[in-house]
Amino acid sequence: MVSLFIKVTAKTKHPFIEVNFKESKRMDARTLSLPISTLDYKQPSTVQEGTPVSDAIDIMQAEGFGCVLVVDNDQRLIGIITDRDLLVNVCGKRLDPESVSVEEIMSKNPESLRASDPIAFALNLMHLGHFRHVPLSIWDDQNQQFPVGLISTRDILEHVAIFIENQ
Amino acid sequence: MLYEHAIDEEIAQMEEDIEASQKALQVSEIQVPLRSLMRGCITIDIAASTQTAIDMLIRHRIGAASVVENEKLRGIFGERDVLRKILNRQVGELSDIPVTQFMKVDPQTAKPDDMLDTAVLYMAKGGFRHLPIVNEDQQPIGMVSIRDVISYLVDFFPQEVLTLPPNPIRDALKAREGA
Repeated sequence: MVSLFIKVTAKTKHPFIEVNFKESKRMDARTLSLPISTLDYKQPSTVQEGTPVSDAIDIMQAEGFGCVLVVDNDQRLIGIITDRDLLVNVCGKRLDPESVSVEEIMSKNPESLRASDPIAFALNLMHLGHFRHVPLSIWDDQNQQFPVGLISTRDILEHVAIFIENQ
Repeated sequence: MLYEHAIDEEIAQMEEDIEASQKALQVSEIQVPLRSLMRGCITIDIAASTQTAIDMLIRHRIGAASVVENEKLRGIFGERDVLRKILNRQVGELSDIPVTQFMKVDPQTAKPDDMLDTAVLYMAKGGFRHLPIVNEDQQPIGMVSIRDVISYLVDFFPQEVLTLPPNPIRDALKAREGA
Protein backbone atom coordinates (compact mmCIF):
# COMPACT_ATOMS: atom_id res chain seq x y z
CA MET A 1 0.00 0.00 0.00
CA VAL A 2 2.72 2.39 1.01
CA SER A 3 4.91 1.59 -1.98
CA LEU A 4 1.99 2.18 -4.37
CA PHE A 5 1.40 5.60 -2.83
CA ILE A 6 5.07 6.46 -3.13
CA LYS A 7 5.15 5.50 -6.78
CA VAL A 8 2.23 7.73 -7.66
CA THR A 9 3.50 10.64 -5.63
CA ALA A 10 6.98 10.44 -7.13
CA LYS A 11 5.64 11.22 -10.57
CA THR A 12 3.32 13.97 -9.43
CA LYS A 13 4.52 17.41 -10.42
CA HIS A 14 3.59 20.64 -8.70
CA PRO A 15 -0.05 21.25 -9.64
CA PHE A 16 0.09 25.03 -9.83
CA ILE A 17 3.29 25.70 -11.70
CA GLU A 18 3.72 24.60 -15.28
CA VAL A 19 7.13 26.13 -15.87
CA ASN A 20 9.71 23.57 -16.89
CA PHE A 21 12.84 24.60 -15.04
CA LYS A 22 15.06 22.98 -17.67
CA GLU A 23 13.54 25.04 -20.45
CA SER A 24 13.88 28.29 -18.58
CA LYS A 25 16.22 30.76 -20.25
CA ARG A 26 16.55 32.91 -17.19
CA MET A 27 18.21 32.11 -13.97
CA ASP A 28 16.91 34.49 -11.39
CA ALA A 29 15.43 34.77 -7.96
CA ARG A 30 12.07 33.50 -9.22
CA THR A 31 13.75 30.44 -10.68
CA LEU A 32 15.04 29.52 -7.25
CA SER A 33 11.56 29.78 -5.78
CA LEU A 34 10.19 27.19 -8.20
CA PRO A 35 9.53 23.78 -6.67
CA ILE A 36 12.18 21.08 -6.95
CA SER A 37 9.64 19.02 -8.91
CA THR A 38 10.24 21.32 -11.90
CA LEU A 39 13.67 19.70 -12.15
CA ASP A 40 13.82 16.19 -13.52
CA TYR A 41 14.88 14.73 -10.22
CA LYS A 42 15.78 11.06 -10.06
CA GLN A 43 14.03 8.11 -8.51
CA PRO A 44 16.17 6.99 -5.58
CA SER A 45 17.89 3.65 -5.29
CA THR A 46 17.06 2.12 -1.92
CA VAL A 47 18.28 -0.80 0.17
CA GLN A 48 16.67 -2.34 3.23
CA GLU A 49 18.35 -2.14 6.63
CA GLY A 50 20.37 -5.27 7.24
CA THR A 51 21.60 -5.38 3.65
CA PRO A 52 25.36 -6.03 3.32
CA VAL A 53 27.36 -3.01 2.17
CA SER A 54 28.58 -5.07 -0.80
CA ASP A 55 25.00 -5.22 -2.14
CA ALA A 56 24.70 -1.44 -1.81
CA ILE A 57 27.93 -1.11 -3.79
CA ASP A 58 26.54 -3.41 -6.50
CA ILE A 59 23.45 -1.21 -6.82
CA MET A 60 25.43 2.03 -6.95
CA GLN A 61 27.71 0.60 -9.63
CA ALA A 62 24.81 -0.73 -11.69
CA GLU A 63 22.76 2.48 -11.43
CA GLY A 64 25.73 4.81 -11.79
CA PHE A 65 24.61 6.73 -8.68
CA GLY A 66 26.88 8.22 -6.06
CA CYS A 67 24.55 7.28 -3.23
CA VAL A 68 21.88 4.87 -2.09
CA LEU A 69 19.11 5.48 0.46
CA VAL A 70 18.54 3.08 3.35
CA VAL A 71 14.97 2.26 4.37
CA ASP A 72 13.50 0.12 7.13
CA ASN A 73 11.06 -2.73 6.60
CA ASP A 74 8.18 -0.24 6.27
CA GLN A 75 10.04 1.72 3.57
CA ARG A 76 10.73 4.63 5.92
CA LEU A 77 13.92 6.59 5.21
CA ILE A 78 16.52 5.93 7.92
CA GLY A 79 19.84 6.72 6.25
CA ILE A 80 21.99 7.45 3.23
CA ILE A 81 25.26 5.94 2.01
CA THR A 82 27.44 7.93 -0.37
CA ASP A 83 30.58 7.00 -2.26
CA ARG A 84 32.41 9.06 0.37
CA ASP A 85 31.12 6.77 3.14
CA LEU A 86 32.36 3.77 1.18
CA LEU A 87 35.77 5.34 0.66
CA VAL A 88 36.22 6.15 4.34
CA ASN A 89 34.82 2.92 5.79
CA VAL A 90 35.67 0.20 3.29
CA CYS A 91 39.01 1.52 1.98
CA GLY A 92 40.06 3.63 4.98
CA LYS A 93 38.93 1.52 7.94
CA ARG A 94 39.28 -1.71 5.95
CA LEU A 95 35.78 -2.93 6.86
CA ASP A 96 34.67 -6.02 4.96
CA PRO A 97 31.70 -4.92 2.81
CA GLU A 98 30.24 -8.42 2.79
CA SER A 99 30.09 -8.74 6.56
CA VAL A 100 29.11 -5.17 7.46
CA SER A 101 25.49 -4.05 7.07
CA VAL A 102 24.49 -0.71 5.60
CA GLU A 103 23.26 0.82 8.84
CA GLU A 104 26.75 0.52 10.33
CA ILE A 105 28.26 3.01 7.89
CA MET A 106 25.27 5.08 6.75
CA SER A 107 24.62 8.68 7.77
CA LYS A 108 21.52 8.40 9.91
CA ASN A 109 18.36 10.48 9.43
CA PRO A 110 19.57 12.55 6.47
CA GLU A 111 18.14 16.01 5.82
CA SER A 112 15.26 15.59 3.42
CA LEU A 113 12.96 17.89 1.45
CA ARG A 114 9.60 17.72 -0.29
CA ALA A 115 9.43 17.82 -4.08
CA SER A 116 7.19 20.87 -3.63
CA ASP A 117 9.86 22.77 -1.68
CA PRO A 118 11.67 25.59 -3.54
CA ILE A 119 14.94 24.83 -5.30
CA ALA A 120 16.50 27.41 -2.98
CA PHE A 121 15.99 24.98 -0.08
CA ALA A 122 18.03 22.33 -1.87
CA LEU A 123 20.80 24.85 -2.60
CA ASN A 124 20.72 25.86 1.05
CA LEU A 125 21.27 22.28 2.24
CA MET A 126 23.91 21.55 -0.38
CA HIS A 127 25.86 24.68 0.53
CA LEU A 128 25.54 24.79 4.30
CA GLY A 129 25.36 21.05 4.90
CA HIS A 130 27.95 20.17 2.25
CA PHE A 131 25.54 17.53 0.92
CA ARG A 132 25.96 16.34 -2.64
CA HIS A 133 22.62 14.53 -2.58
CA VAL A 134 19.37 15.53 -0.91
CA PRO A 135 16.58 12.93 -0.61
CA LEU A 136 13.01 13.97 -1.44
CA SER A 137 10.36 12.48 0.78
CA ILE A 138 6.72 12.44 1.66
CA TRP A 139 5.63 12.49 5.29
CA ASP A 140 2.69 10.62 6.82
CA ASP A 141 0.53 11.66 9.77
CA GLN A 142 3.06 10.23 12.22
CA ASN A 143 5.81 12.38 10.67
CA GLN A 144 7.49 9.29 9.21
CA GLN A 145 9.22 9.98 5.91
CA PHE A 146 9.20 7.85 2.79
CA PRO A 147 11.75 8.58 0.04
CA VAL A 148 10.34 9.36 -3.42
CA GLY A 149 13.24 11.12 -5.14
CA LEU A 150 16.75 12.41 -5.03
CA ILE A 151 18.24 15.72 -6.13
CA SER A 152 21.97 16.18 -6.55
CA THR A 153 24.43 18.98 -7.15
CA ARG A 154 24.72 17.56 -10.69
CA ASP A 155 21.04 18.37 -11.34
CA ILE A 156 21.73 21.99 -10.39
CA LEU A 157 24.91 22.07 -12.48
CA GLU A 158 23.08 20.73 -15.52
CA HIS A 159 20.50 23.46 -15.21
CA VAL A 160 23.21 26.12 -15.05
CA ALA A 161 24.80 24.56 -18.16
CA ILE A 162 21.47 24.73 -20.03
CA PHE A 163 21.06 28.35 -18.96
CA ILE A 164 24.54 29.17 -20.30
CA GLU A 165 23.90 27.42 -23.60
CA ASN A 166 20.54 29.16 -24.08
CA GLN A 167 22.04 32.63 -23.84
CA MET B 1 -14.94 51.98 -2.89
CA LEU B 2 -12.30 53.13 -0.43
CA TYR B 3 -11.65 49.48 0.38
CA GLU B 4 -11.19 48.54 -3.32
CA HIS B 5 -8.86 51.50 -3.79
CA ALA B 6 -6.80 50.37 -0.83
CA ILE B 7 -6.56 46.84 -2.28
CA ASP B 8 -5.47 48.19 -5.68
CA GLU B 9 -2.79 50.25 -4.01
CA GLU B 10 -1.62 47.26 -2.01
CA ILE B 11 -1.42 45.07 -5.13
CA ALA B 12 0.47 47.77 -7.02
CA GLN B 13 2.92 48.07 -4.14
CA MET B 14 3.40 44.29 -4.04
CA GLU B 15 4.12 44.21 -7.76
CA GLU B 16 6.67 46.99 -7.34
CA ASP B 17 8.32 45.09 -4.50
CA ILE B 18 8.46 41.88 -6.53
CA GLU B 19 9.96 43.75 -9.48
CA ALA B 20 12.57 45.34 -7.22
CA SER B 21 13.55 41.96 -5.77
CA GLN B 22 14.20 40.35 -9.14
CA LYS B 23 17.81 39.53 -9.53
CA ALA B 24 18.78 37.70 -12.66
CA LEU B 25 22.01 35.89 -13.29
CA GLN B 26 23.50 36.93 -16.60
CA VAL B 27 26.06 34.88 -18.46
CA SER B 28 28.49 37.78 -18.12
CA GLU B 29 28.30 37.28 -14.36
CA ILE B 30 29.23 33.61 -14.70
CA GLN B 31 32.29 34.73 -16.58
CA VAL B 32 34.42 35.05 -13.50
CA PRO B 33 37.95 33.64 -13.83
CA LEU B 34 38.53 30.25 -12.29
CA ARG B 35 41.56 31.56 -10.40
CA SER B 36 39.15 33.45 -8.14
CA LEU B 37 37.21 30.27 -7.30
CA MET B 38 39.70 27.42 -7.37
CA ARG B 39 40.90 25.66 -4.27
CA GLY B 40 44.42 24.59 -3.48
CA CYS B 41 45.62 21.54 -5.31
CA ILE B 42 46.47 18.28 -3.54
CA THR B 43 48.78 16.15 -5.68
CA ILE B 44 49.66 12.47 -5.70
CA ASP B 45 52.96 11.30 -7.15
CA ILE B 46 52.56 8.99 -10.11
CA ALA B 47 54.61 6.33 -8.32
CA ALA B 48 52.24 6.24 -5.33
CA SER B 49 50.22 3.16 -4.50
CA THR B 50 46.45 3.18 -4.73
CA GLN B 51 46.19 2.85 -0.94
CA THR B 52 48.41 5.91 -0.47
CA ALA B 53 46.21 7.85 -2.88
CA ILE B 54 43.05 6.76 -1.03
CA ASP B 55 44.59 7.75 2.31
CA MET B 56 45.29 11.21 0.88
CA LEU B 57 41.67 11.63 -0.24
CA ILE B 58 40.52 10.71 3.25
CA ARG B 59 43.12 12.74 5.15
CA HIS B 60 42.61 15.92 3.12
CA ARG B 61 38.82 15.45 2.93
CA ILE B 62 38.76 15.88 -0.82
CA GLY B 63 36.84 14.10 -3.54
CA ALA B 64 39.64 13.95 -6.08
CA ALA B 65 43.34 14.71 -6.40
CA SER B 66 45.70 15.37 -9.28
CA VAL B 67 48.26 12.70 -10.14
CA VAL B 68 51.56 14.25 -11.21
CA GLU B 69 54.80 13.14 -12.80
CA ASN B 70 57.69 15.60 -12.53
CA GLU B 71 55.12 18.16 -11.36
CA LYS B 72 53.08 17.81 -14.56
CA LEU B 73 49.51 16.59 -14.53
CA ARG B 74 49.11 13.04 -15.77
CA GLY B 75 45.76 12.02 -14.31
CA ILE B 76 43.09 12.52 -11.69
CA PHE B 77 42.01 10.04 -9.04
CA GLY B 78 38.89 10.37 -6.92
CA GLU B 79 36.23 8.66 -4.85
CA ARG B 80 34.19 7.97 -7.98
CA ASP B 81 37.09 5.88 -9.34
CA VAL B 82 37.14 3.95 -6.07
CA LEU B 83 33.43 3.15 -6.35
CA ARG B 84 33.49 2.21 -10.01
CA LYS B 85 36.79 0.40 -10.35
CA ILE B 86 37.87 -0.90 -6.95
CA LEU B 87 35.02 -1.71 -4.55
CA ASN B 88 33.62 -5.26 -4.92
CA ARG B 89 36.25 -5.97 -7.58
CA GLN B 90 38.96 -8.56 -7.14
CA VAL B 91 41.77 -6.08 -7.68
CA GLY B 92 44.33 -7.36 -5.18
CA GLU B 93 46.22 -5.58 -2.43
CA LEU B 94 45.83 -1.81 -2.94
CA SER B 95 49.22 -1.10 -1.37
CA ASP B 96 50.85 -3.04 -4.19
CA ILE B 97 48.91 -1.53 -7.09
CA PRO B 98 50.02 1.84 -8.50
CA VAL B 99 47.40 4.57 -8.63
CA THR B 100 48.00 4.79 -12.38
CA GLN B 101 45.93 1.64 -12.79
CA PHE B 102 42.74 3.33 -11.58
CA MET B 103 43.24 7.04 -12.29
CA LYS B 104 41.61 8.82 -15.19
CA VAL B 105 44.41 9.53 -17.66
CA ASP B 106 44.79 12.96 -19.27
CA PRO B 107 41.66 14.52 -17.74
CA GLN B 108 39.93 17.62 -19.03
CA THR B 109 41.68 20.67 -17.61
CA ALA B 110 41.18 24.42 -17.59
CA LYS B 111 43.45 27.41 -17.24
CA PRO B 112 43.18 29.85 -14.32
CA ASP B 113 42.06 32.60 -16.69
CA ASP B 114 39.28 30.45 -18.18
CA MET B 115 35.82 31.46 -17.03
CA LEU B 116 33.39 29.69 -14.74
CA ASP B 117 30.88 29.15 -17.54
CA THR B 118 33.49 27.15 -19.44
CA ALA B 119 34.10 25.00 -16.38
CA VAL B 120 30.35 24.42 -15.92
CA LEU B 121 29.98 23.22 -19.50
CA TYR B 122 33.02 20.96 -19.22
CA MET B 123 31.66 19.36 -16.04
CA ALA B 124 28.09 19.04 -17.30
CA LYS B 125 29.04 17.48 -20.63
CA GLY B 126 31.89 15.35 -19.34
CA GLY B 127 29.94 14.11 -16.32
CA PHE B 128 32.72 14.82 -13.86
CA ARG B 129 32.73 16.69 -10.58
CA HIS B 130 36.27 18.02 -10.52
CA LEU B 131 38.22 20.09 -12.99
CA PRO B 132 41.99 20.46 -12.46
CA ILE B 133 43.36 23.93 -13.18
CA VAL B 134 46.80 23.88 -14.78
CA ASN B 135 49.35 26.52 -15.77
CA GLU B 136 51.10 26.87 -19.12
CA ASP B 137 53.49 24.07 -18.20
CA GLN B 138 50.64 21.64 -17.42
CA GLN B 139 51.41 21.86 -13.72
CA PRO B 140 48.28 21.61 -11.56
CA ILE B 141 47.75 24.75 -9.51
CA GLY B 142 44.17 24.30 -8.32
CA MET B 143 40.90 22.41 -8.51
CA VAL B 144 37.33 23.54 -9.22
CA SER B 145 34.43 21.27 -8.27
CA ILE B 146 30.66 21.22 -8.60
CA ARG B 147 30.57 22.39 -5.00
CA ASP B 148 32.33 25.61 -6.03
CA VAL B 149 29.60 26.23 -8.64
CA ILE B 150 26.94 25.76 -5.96
CA SER B 151 28.80 28.14 -3.65
CA TYR B 152 28.97 30.73 -6.44
CA LEU B 153 25.19 30.52 -6.96
CA VAL B 154 24.57 30.85 -3.24
CA ASP B 155 26.86 33.85 -3.06
CA PHE B 156 24.96 35.41 -5.95
CA PHE B 157 21.53 34.79 -4.46
CA PRO B 158 22.24 34.93 -0.72
CA GLN B 159 18.90 36.45 0.16
CA GLU B 160 16.94 33.77 -1.67
CA VAL B 161 19.00 30.82 -0.47
CA LEU B 162 20.46 31.60 2.93
CA THR B 163 17.43 33.26 4.47
CA LEU B 164 15.12 30.33 3.75
CA PRO B 165 15.75 27.71 6.41
CA PRO B 166 13.42 24.87 5.34
CA ASN B 167 12.16 23.58 8.65
CA PRO B 168 10.86 26.77 10.28
CA ILE B 169 8.90 27.65 7.16
CA ARG B 170 7.47 24.15 6.88
CA ASP B 171 6.58 24.18 10.58
CA ALA B 172 4.92 27.57 10.19
CA LEU B 173 2.80 26.23 7.34
CA LYS B 174 1.85 23.20 9.42
CA ALA B 175 0.84 25.42 12.30
CA ARG B 176 -1.34 27.47 9.98
CA GLU B 177 -2.94 24.37 8.49
CA GLY B 178 -3.73 23.12 11.98
CA ALA B 179 -5.12 26.43 13.15
